[in-house]
Amino acid sequence: MLKVVVPMASAILATEFVQAQTEIVGNVDSKCIIISETPGVYGNPNPYQLTTAPTSGGVQPIIRYDVLAADFYKAVIEHPIDFSSSPNLDDVVTWSGDVEVSEVSDTNMSDYDTNKVEYDNAHEYQMTVAGSTWFKISSTADYGYNKSFPAGQYTAVVEAECIPI
Amino acid sequence: MKRLSQLLAVFLFCSQPSYSEEVYGTTNNAAQFGLNWVMTNILPEYAGLEVNGLVYQYTAVKDPETDMIVWVQNEYADGNGYIFRNSDDWSGLPGNTISKSFAFPNLSAELWGPGSIEVDGDGSVEDASVIYSYKYDTCFDPQSDPSCPGYENTLEVPEIPIYDPLQDQLVQDELEKKKLQQEEEDEKQRQRRREQWAINNALEELLGEGDIPELIDPAAEAMALALTSRVLPNNYYNLLFGGEYLETVILEGGDIQDNAKARRSNLAQQLLHQQMVDSQYESSQQETK
Repeated sequence: MLKVVVPMASAILATEFVQAQTEIVGNVDSKCIIISETPGVYGNPNPYQLTTAPTSGGVQPIIRYDVLAADFYKAVIEHPIDFSSSPNLDDVVTWSGDVEVSEVSDTNMSDYDTNKVEYDNAHEYQMTVAGSTWFKISSTADYGYNKSFPAGQYTAVVEAECIPI
Repeated sequence: MKRLSQLLAVFLFCSQPSYSEEVYGTTNNAAQFGLNWVMTNILPEYAGLEVNGLVYQYTAVKDPETDMIVWVQNEYADGNGYIFRNSDDWSGLPGNTISKSFAFPNLSAELWGPGSIEVDGDGSVEDASVIYSYKYDTCFDPQSDPSCPGYENTLEVPEIPIYDPLQDQLVQDELEKKKLQQEEEDEKQRQRRREQWAINNALEELLGEGDIPELIDPAAEAMALALTSRVLPNNYYNLLFGGEYLETVILEGGDIQDNAKARRSNLAQQLLHQQMVDSQYESSQQETK
């Protein structure tokens, strides 16, 4: 019986479970880069109005998308519909705005505006060409019914996203 | 220790900082005055300058339905093809502003020929901008700056004063003296010529005015006539009558004997001459001794 036990014990030792783990690490860099090239400035042509129109003393913000791989991303840019910081406002602010392609690095990007989809304040572009695309945003805020904006500093934010598809 | 510090001081004194620097820069807008440009007017004139990049931008103005191709290009300086050429095909697309950048493997500025933006099709290009980026080594020519590595001191040629003998005061004085002497001599000669001319003129007047009785001495005139008549023999102005002068002397007997007296006389003279020469020779020999 002992003789049986020893070989059994030996078998147990021989079949002892051994395991190891190793990691596989991978980093994915985004193939879509968003760069704010020109910060916007609101002009105040009328007491009740803030606008980025250059003719009214404003500066239109410009955002650049660098897309390294075509047909893998869509750009969604939202012009502002509220102030991120402002003096206390007790009346309605009416917002309007637009986004357009202002510059391209490839001629085939020039029909991005034609093919874009708009909803709410969002402008959605299919990035079908690799390269750089510059988007220019316009924004206008009218306060009340021709009511003067309270004095102070007003800040609004343009949101730009690059969404993988 | 003192010797070591001296050596270190000498080393520090002799060692000069040497470095070269690569300078990077960008040109002005090459297309600011038109869609054609010459690179020599665009790139700065630095030795060894190399173009390493280009950025262009323009706005294509066109109907989306039309075809349009825009070429941005630079010819080779030797005119053999293009060193850079890129096309933007806007056919069937709306116009827009396009911006592109390119990197080059440091192409020598000497390779770059005329640049241009050409439009094929319907449409136009506005607000064009073409900017080149470049670099150059400040020590491309080591002799351009003493701080460059490899700079070799040029031999300083000492300034040797050039002696111009004509500028020497003594020489100038002597030349001035000779000049004065020459002028005096010339003046004397001129004076002599004037006097001679006056004399000749006076003589001519005298001789020409033969009918002035007070100027003619009858005795002198007679003497002059006598002299004139004697100066030239008659046969100078008398005609010889032609013909043959026949021999009138006739020798009889045929032989003419030698004149022995004359021979002796010749021999005696020869002897005397030889004696005279010998005596002169002997006397000269004695003087040299």
